[in-house]
Amino acid sequence: MDIIASAGIVVKLVLLLLLSFSVISWTIILFKFVQVQRANNESERFMDFFWKSKRFDAIASQVDRFSHSPLTVLFNEGYNELKKVVENDSKSDGSSLSTDLGGVENVSRSLRRATNSEITRLEKYLTFLATTGSTSPFIGLFGTVWGIMTAFEGIGKTGSASLAVVAPGIAEALIATAIGLVAAIPAVMAYNHFQHKIRVLINEMDSFSTEFLNIVQRNIAGK
Amino acid sequence: MSSRIPRADTGVSVSFIASVVIHLAVLSLFAWYGRMFPPQIAIQETYYVDVVSLPVNEPASGSPAQLPAAAVPPPLPVPEPPMTEPLPPPRALPKKITKTIKPVSPQKPETTDSYFAERMAKIERNTEARREEAVLEKLRSKVKTVDKSKRGASEAGGALSGSRYADYIKSRLEDALKVTSSYTTNNPEVAVRLTIAPTGRILRLQIERSSGDAAFELAVRRAIDLAGEKFPAPPGHTVYENGFVFRPKSISSGASH
Repeated sequence: MDIIASAGIVVKLVLLLLLSFSVISWTIILFKFVQVQRANNESERFMDFFWKSKRFDAIASQVDRFSHSPLTVLFNEGYNELKKVVENDSKSDGSSLSTDLGGVENVSRSLRRATNSEITRLEKYLTFLATTGSTSPFIGLFGTVWGIMTAFEGIGKTGSASLAVVAPGIAEALIATAIGLVAAIPAVMAYNHFQHKIRVLINEMDSFSTEFLNIVQRNIAGK
Repeated sequence: MSSRIPRADTGVSVSFIASVVIHLAVLSLFAWYGRMFPPQIAIQETYYVDVVSLPVNEPASGSPAQLPAAAVPPPLPVPEPPMTEPLPPPRALPKKITKTIKPVSPQKPETTDSYFAERMAKIERNTEARREEAVLEKLRSKVKTVDKSKRGASEAGGALSGSRYADYIKSRLEDALKVTSSYTTNNPEVAVRLTIAPTGRILRLQIERSSGDAAFELAVRRAIDLAGEKFPAPPGHTVYENGFVFRPKSISSGASH
């Protein structure tokens, strides 16, 4: 602690910046951890529930139980779109076949849109982790270079290059690099971890939307 | 969909608080650790290792004849001279050292030819050990500052301890000068008169003469500052004054008092 207190103003600012980076990235790590964990668990439970149920409207009434899963968002969007298509279908009793195909297209489009918005939601804030991981070592290095510069100035003033003069300044300076690494390492690890988890969730969403479309198309074609 | 976003934001604020708490906990843990186990800087402590300066002190303290005495035993083939030779120093020394002589005397009767070389080696080793013991004993008694009473001859003892103290200070200054040394001219020279208080603190530092190398002067000042933190009390608890001539390679002490 003394070593930080005796450092120069630039080094202190760098340390403060790195500390705030670390605090924010840990905020994101904790938040994302809870978010992804919930999404995984509830998606699993929702898929179980989805395959057990016979009817879409039965699922739609229960869907709030799994509100953290991205799949429920897809289901809601697809179901709402499907309801609209069916309502339109019943109003206009004309050429049913063409509208049916158009209906499936509509549902597919709305599912794709919902998937995109869910991906955006899941990946939100993750870029900050990547930024922290890649820049905070450099910020720390900047603090170190600055600290060593001032240490050398001190050497020039005292006119002696003994270890007792050089060592404290360099130790102060190296603190900045250490803190930079401390901030960067968890950020990079968490970024990679969440990237993987989110890719799994995206795959799940894709396969769910194809399943959903299959069901819709089967039912409309069978009508 | 719309109900999701506020929930996400509360999640962010909760995890932000958790993150701040974690950081505070880690920082306070580090602070606590630093306070519990303060880092020990060993640079100053190494000055206490006196192994190098012990042989330096020794010839100055005892008698100049000690150095020749150390050289004499090997060339002499007869066992008798080395036996008598190392004896005088113990006589001058406190009684404790005579204990170390006792193991030597029982060996005396066994004078077989095969035993001869072995005994020579043993005797030499013993004299070496005794000499080291004597030096350590002297240093110990000096630390206790009762050397005058132990040594008997007060006048000579005082003079001896004075020069030994000067040597001690000189070796401390040499160690410190090795750390701080810097100079810009060839063979710079600075003569300094130091006054040391009975407590071991430096009372006065007066540069009497300088070759004009400012960097070396500064180095000398810093060396004195550095070494001055560790000076023991001068013998007899009196104010001690001595001149030292600093050169980059060596320090010579001037006339004491």
